[in-house]
Amino acid sequence: MAKAGIRQAPSLEAGRRRLAALLALPAWAFLIAVFALPILGAVWLSFRNETLGAFVPPRFVGLENYRTALADPRFWESIGTTLWLIVAGLAVQLPLGIGLALLLHRNLRGTALFRTVLIVPMLLTPVAVGLMWRFMLDTDFGIINWALGQLMERPPNWLGARWPARFAVVIVDSWLSVPFVMLMVLAALSSLPRGPAEAAAIDGAGPVQVFWFVTLPALVPVILVVVMIRVVDVVKLFDILFIVTQRGGPGTATQTLGLLTYNTGFIFFQISRAAALGVLLTLMLAPIYFLWRRVGRTP
Amino acid sequence: MTPAGRLLSASAIGALIASGALAQELNLYLIPSPSSDAIQSFIPAFEAATGIKVNVTETPYGEAHQKLLLSVQLKQGQYDVAQFDNTFLAPYGAAGTMMPLDDRIAGSAAYDIADFSEGLQDYGKYDGRTLGLVLSTEPMILWYRSDIFDELGLSVPATWDEYRAAAQAIEESGRGDGNILGWGPNASWWFMTFIWSFGGHLYDEDLNPQVNTPEAVAGVTFFKEMLQYGPEGGISASGDDVTNKFLSQDIGMMIQYSGYWGVALEPENTEFVGRIGTAKMPLGAVDITHLAGWNIGIPADAVNVDEAWRFLEFVLGKDNAADYLKAGAAAIGRKSVLDNAELLAIHPYLPLLDIPESSRIERYPQLRVWPELEKAILDALPAILNGEVEVQAGLDALNETMRPILAQERAN
Repeated sequence: MAKAGIRQAPSLEAGRRRLAALLALPAWAFLIAVFALPILGAVWLSFRNETLGAFVPPRFVGLENYRTALADPRFWESIGTTLWLIVAGLAVQLPLGIGLALLLHRNLRGTALFRTVLIVPMLLTPVAVGLMWRFMLDTDFGIINWALGQLMERPPNWLGARWPARFAVVIVDSWLSVPFVMLMVLAALSSLPRGPAEAAAIDGAGPVQVFWFVTLPALVPVILVVVMIRVVDVVKLFDILFIVTQRGGPGTATQTLGLLTYNTGFIFFQISRAAALGVLLTLMLAPIYFLWRRVGRTP
Repeated sequence: MTPAGRLLSASAIGALIASGALAQELNLYLIPSPSSDAIQSFIPAFEAATGIKVNVTETPYGEAHQKLLLSVQLKQGQYDVAQFDNTFLAPYGAAGTMMPLDDRIAGSAAYDIADFSEGLQDYGKYDGRTLGLVLSTEPMILWYRSDIFDELGLSVPATWDEYRAAAQAIEESGRGDGNILGWGPNASWWFMTFIWSFGGHLYDEDLNPQVNTPEAVAGVTFFKEMLQYGPEGGISASGDDVTNKFLSQDIGMMIQYSGYWGVALEPENTEFVGRIGTAKMPLGAVDITHLAGWNIGIPADAVNVDEAWRFLEFVLGKDNAADYLKAGAAAIGRKSVLDNAELLAIHPYLPLLDIPESSRIERYPQLRVWPELEKAILDALPAILNGEVEVQAGLDALNETMRPILAQERAN
């Protein structure tokens, strides 16, 4: 009997595994269909010279599209713009988001209402937000320049000059993203044990020292996750740029790599070149993914 | 008829319908616009007259042309009639997206191509073949505020020098801004206009870029110079913004496509209804007419070609021309309606659509690489217009940027 039982156990286990694999099969098939195949398709396209605007027989061109992309000054400029938007955006969003989270964490009077109002931008459609800001930033009609006009003689031409346009994008992106940063940090603050902060206070540390030496280090893992999510968000930022600065203008001032890829594929009809840019974009984001996993594993 | 005979007849009719020999449906591919609305207003009459059901798919401008290209390349036979912007004539022509219509046009008394001036007859032609009928005729014209001109005793400018003088006079009078042009995301429209009007070209016959010649530099310098007589936000004004600002602020003049006229007719769009005049675009070194507009044709993979042509004749035929304009469409420059008093009351600029042979018609470059070329121009212009680089230096750099793009066209 015992012998038979020993023989049966692996067979039962194998059966369960087969059943599990069978049950997971539809999910795998779905993932392959919607993720793996399009990615492989894009890689395949990037080695060809497909264009939408001609019936010239497409052919294999090897790394030609990658060479073209890397030799194109617009590619490097768009990377520079993307990096600038990331850095400037985080410089605004992190302090503001953390500050608001600390404020709300104190449960002052009216906190519930304040919290509700603050997350409203997260609930709005980015295209609608973009249109709203485009009107507000208008040099002639916009309320922002009307208000600034009371304080200065020549308010910035937000959407007509290079640097004002970049700052305008950071302002709009921050308006949308600060609530996200705030919520993440607030959730982390709520889960922190009170003990270390109280102990530090008893030892004579002031509020700033408690925050700097106790609270902030405890928040670092969450802040890292926020930073990574924001980096990915800015890299794939599209709707705001499409609406507010009208596809990355003026000129190339706010043209990110994502927009350059869009323009190449859907405006210039250079499908294969756009695919190569998409692959490069993905490769650039890969380290973020691995960093994310490492942070996730950190106890 | 015996049961077997009835069965046979029913099968034959079914097979004919299935094969499309008896077309019962027609599929239109339209782009939201006044022209599309006007076309759709004639569908009930067409259906009543022919018994053919007409289906409409409207696709926003931003994706319409790409979708049609894909659809025809995949030979899906989805659409029998398709509207397109003339700027896409070259990509469509190169890709064989639209069916040549020359034989049908030549044999159609209802359409009557002779009712168009010679320049307009060629408006849908790519590589010598007509791929689309004229759906709208939209030259760049001068728009001016007649009340401001009257108050200041100004006469309508006929040359660019007079235009500059009028803009300066309005600006200095404090009555409003002198003028507005599209210095922003659609600046290429005006960039081309001024280069052509000042005697330059974007490229020569061998596709070598020519945007840094003295004529081109003079044209772009004038374009830039007019900024000082424009509203503060003019530098970021898109094509639509130019019209919106002209219709809502005190601005003396604008150079804009006539197709925007419909917006100026509505009292809810502007308080200046009745105070806007139109005139031929001022003359530069060369008499040119910068012409834009829609086309409409039959996709190469259309299934119901005869019915599609019948529909186009029905809506855009000579006899229907006045009704078509009354339905709200952007005007078509048919000679037979240009002096129609009823239409002139709605579209006073109609006589400007009768483009004389002496005026060289210029339209968007018929190049497959035009979108990339236009983007290069738009990328270069802000620095030139903002004064970050000198006009000559900026155009020298742009000329070099255009060279490899035009080389791609040559290679094809």
